Amino acid sequence: MEEKEILKTENEKLKKINQERSDLISISVHQLRTSLSALKWILKMFQDKETGELSQKQNDLIEKAINSNDKMIELVNDLLTLNSTESISDLNNLEKIDIRELINQVLSEFSSEAKEKNIEIIVSKENNDTPLITCDKKMIIIVLQNLIENAIKYSNENDKILIIINKKNNELEVSISDNGIGIKDSEQDKIFSKFFRASNAKDKNIIGSGLGLFSTKIIIEKHKGKIWFEKNNDKGMKFIFTLPIL
Amino acid sequence: MKKVLIVEDDSFLQGLEVEKLKKVGYEVSTASTGEIAMQKIQDETGINVILLDLVLPDFDGFDILRKVKTINTLKNVPVIVFSNLSEEKTIDKSKELGASDFMVKSNFTLDELVTRIKEIVK
Repeated sequence: MEEKEILKTENEKLKKINQERSDLISISVHQLRTSLSALKWILKMFQDKETGELSQKQNDLIEKAINSNDKMIELVNDLLTLNSTESISDLNNLEKIDIRELINQVLSEFSSEAKEKNIEIIVSKENNDTPLITCDKKMIIIVLQNLIENAIKYSNENDKILIIINKKNNELEVSISDNGIGIKDSEQDKIFSKFFRASNAKDKNIIGSGLGLFSTKIIIEKHKGKIWFEKNNDKGMKFIFTLPIL
Repeated sequence: MKKVLIVEDDSFLQGLEVEKLKKVGYEVSTASTGEIAMQKIQDETGINVILLDLVLPDFDGFDILRKVKTINTLKNVPVIVFSNLSEEKTIDKSKELGASDFMVKSNFTLDELVTRIKEIVK
């Protein structure tokens, strides 16, 4: 009994520390974003020549600064997501959801990015009925956002992205395939590591923080699911995740 | 001319917002504290849209949103929450209290903000 009490007290202490850490990150993110917003808006004013004509060199430098600032904004956004992902010790907001609805919702969020690159996204289901799954809806939305955003970012113009929903035994399997730049074989074992960025993505100056797939894996595993990837027809990637049908 | 009330405590960001909105043809009124915002929403007329920051030195932005929705002449005026907070619970609460939209400042340019304002006050 005494041991139980000690454990309970320790647990409460840890929860408090975790909450304080989480609050500190939220406040820091808010402050960081304020400075980053100011920079973003000012740099855009320069780029749009609102402050006067720019030389080619000045224009190039402004473009690099915008790109660098956008990278920082993405990093801050992903840190915030990771903070909320890591701070949930249990999944408290479980509800029954239709994965197709969530996929459609996320696709509508990225419609302008897909349109900009003329990317066609096809959603297909292998079975007639897609069973509902019990999950934390907001967390699964983050998973879909990360995977769909990556597929669009790393695709080339006029590519196709295929999303397949499949029921297999007691699991729902979702795969997202693109025909994009893929990843080198030598880097594949690091893909879900914190802050990892593929060298070809960095070479192409594609913005990313290296936290998206790390957070995605944590969320899927908290749902007792699995996530992995395969090469898609020698080019591009195919990410597959499963979630238990409860 | 449409009128925008900007509630923003960061004077630098507020200055940039004012400059952009005036440049594209809006009349602009500003409040840098919750108290001034409360005063303005009660006294000023002709406000077509409110741009509301949530973290203010003296008030919670939600209090201002609540107040707006209790004033007959303002309750149908769209409120765009323009904040650097982005937690789901904050977004949900803003929508529950009647905000028309929630935009994270650092994720949008001022041109995108103008586009959203135009869509909302159309």
